[in-house]
Amino acid sequence: MSASQAVFSGWMEIPDSAVDDKARQYAEEAALAALVSQYAGTLYRVAFSVLRNPSDAEDAVQEAFLRVLRHRDTLGEVRDQRVWLIRIVWNIVLDRKRRAKTRPETDDVADLARVLPSGGMSAEQIASAAQHHAHVLAYVERLPAKEREVLMLSAFEELNSVEIASVLEISESSVRSRLFRARNLMAGLLDHTRSLR
Amino acid sequence: MNSQNRNSFSNHSACGDEPSAAEATLRLIARLPAPEGLEDRVHARLAADLRKGRILAWPTTLKADSGWMRTAAAAAIVFVVAGGGWGIYSRIPQPPSAKTILLQPRGPVQGGFSSSGAMRTPQTLNGPLLINPATPKLPATKAPFKTPGHPSLKPIRHGQLGGSSKNSVQPVAPVAK
Repeated sequence: MSASQAVFSGWMEIPDSAVDDKARQYAEEAALAALVSQYAGTLYRVAFSVLRNPSDAEDAVQEAFLRVLRHRDTLGEVRDQRVWLIRIVWNIVLDRKRRAKTRPETDDVADLARVLPSGGMSAEQIASAAQHHAHVLAYVERLPAKEREVLMLSAFEELNSVEIASVLEISESSVRSRLFRARNLMAGLLDHTRSLR
Repeated sequence: MNSQNRNSFSNHSACGDEPSAAEATLRLIARLPAPEGLEDRVHARLAADLRKGRILAWPTTLKADSGWMRTAAAAAIVFVVAGGGWGIYSRIPQPPSAKTILLQPRGPVQGGFSSSGAMRTPQTLNGPLLINPATPKLPATKAPFKTPGHPSLKPIRHGQLGGSSKNSVQPVAPVAK
């Protein structure tokens, strides 16, 4: 059946535009399914790095794809879908964190020990490592927001500085300067605690 | 994880081992695998929302390209603007004309002093004082009419007007009020 032909089904005439819309809808849904299969894991890790709560992170991923579904007609205009999706989920998790104003669940050492990979370590080693990571994460939370965000995103190896700049909507030089400041601040915080001990 | 996209910060340690230790923690968290079945759950959620119709896509047949849609939208805008304007106009009370001045009735003020029924009368201007009232002119040229039978009224002769006659008519003295 060509697109220009009208399809008659009994008394009802199906216009060409309806056929095109149906085909377009299927194409959009297929593209969205491909995006979910390809980037759901990446988005989950981005969400978890901020929220540090598995269920909240998964909920943020689902909300991100729901937003994509709402704007699925503009999917073709997106240049870099991966960075676009990370920016969506990044904004969602920052918004949730701002609204919740609560400590991340896994800042508790026991929860962190449960989430982090053991890698053949003993129970004592796992507990010690979890305590160390919880300690470091507590200091990361004390960094200023701009520096903390860059430091968190820099931990993702699949994001280069240009993409981090695109996610945060700042320049690449700003990313580098903020990262430098974040490292200096972290060094100062850790030195301070070491001197207190 | 794509090694080609590895960023330049991963092996970069500008400030000794502390930042790298902190970044190692963040990297450890960033490498955590997604839970099993995440994609299936996301697919299921999207399908459920599509089925429920919670995602309302703008019908493509109602896009702004169609002429009647534009006309209807323009008419709706005009209707809303005009209706809103009329609503505002009808609610604003019209100011009274210059000839009629509406004064609010004076009522007793709660908790204040009463006037005990006294009415205020405005002061009026004093009227003009009559100092030299006009005297009635006596017709001198005409002949006085005779009143028969009345001895006190006699015709006045010439020269007797300012005289000392007892029956002469004296001018009325001014009365001071």
